[in-house]
Amino acid sequence: MKRNTIVISITLLILATFAWAGWANWEYRKQAAERALASASHAELIPAAPGDVPQSQTSLVGKPAPDFVLEDLSGRTVPLSSFKGKPLLINFWATWCGPCKIETPWLVELQNEYASKGFQIVGISTEGDDLQPGDKEGLARDKVSIARFVKEYHMQYPVLVNGDSLASAYGGLDAMPTSVYVNPDGKVVAMQLGITSKEDMVANVEKTLAPGK
Amino acid sequence: MRSRELKFAKSWLIGVAIGTTIGFACSAVRAQDSLSESPRKSTHKTEAVAYLYPEQVTVPAGKPSVVTLHFRIQQNLHINSHTPREQYLIPTVFSIPESSGVRLASASYPAGADFTLPVDPSEKLLVYSGEFAIQANIVATSGDHLVEAKLHYQACDQNACLPPKTITVPIDVVGK
Repeated sequence: MKRNTIVISITLLILATFAWAGWANWEYRKQAAERALASASHAELIPAAPGDVPQSQTSLVGKPAPDFVLEDLSGRTVPLSSFKGKPLLINFWATWCGPCKIETPWLVELQNEYASKGFQIVGISTEGDDLQPGDKEGLARDKVSIARFVKEYHMQYPVLVNGDSLASAYGGLDAMPTSVYVNPDGKVVAMQLGITSKEDMVANVEKTLAPGK
Repeated sequence: MRSRELKFAKSWLIGVAIGTTIGFACSAVRAQDSLSESPRKSTHKTEAVAYLYPEQVTVPAGKPSVVTLHFRIQQNLHINSHTPREQYLIPTVFSIPESSGVRLASASYPAGADFTLPVDPSEKLLVYSGEFAIQANIVATSGDHLVEAKLHYQACDQNACLPPKTITVPIDVVGK
């Protein structure tokens, strides 16, 4: 009887050990998978707002438009200061962006309609591919698709490239299109993320025409 | 004679019990140690697309096996299908890195659903929204592989688009 008890106890101990080892192994696998998922998302910049594209970035309204020097499609460097004294619309867009494709004809029309008042649109392609400084091959690849878009949509205003490098200065640029309206004094008078209507854009363009407000 | 057999059985059982206990205790402690070496980051943020399941699959080693991978897209967002209608749009693509012990032979994607932007009802996009599944035809070598597969996509809502992203899809693939 005593021997039977010992044998049964040992058997139960072995079974319990197996069960515990199985549980420990399952926990380990689960945590390893979660760790991989967490580390992957840690490496990416993503919008904080759950369930939607962010609608309010760090507002630049009332502040001077952050300075920049970017290349155009021909490789010429273009500083923001070259548009000094003009009412401006700085439009960040991307070739893969459907709403940008809808908005671009409105921009072309606005440039024509307000050119006589000195108004200038500057398109800045922001492809979101995180090009490293000196990645000439990547930049050349981007330029090919940007040039195709510019030609297809008859964009007659200056188009600059590598807007991603301005992300931190311009409030994150988490979503495309992002439009920054600047008055002749160089101050941001309105910001618009995403598209609504051409009428909304006209209202913001009108704000850029009034200096000192 | 019976007494000797019982004595032998008792010694054998005790030996097995002690050996097994020590062995499993050591492996469990080692597993805990490796976790503590790289403490879990608490900076997990919400992605436009989240991988749901399975966390682990067991497939016959060396033979093609279809695994269904489930994903969820954030509310109010959509991503392009694998075959968007417009060339300029970025397709959703699933991939498995080489030398992970698991090869992606092919992948079957859902067709997608029609979607139109309110400002341009004339253009129909082909998108995924809500939950969707990809059928991955994989071939695994024998053994346990913690595969960090990738899903590349580009998300938008009705008025704006997020930059293209690549998320990691962690799957524990056991080839037997």
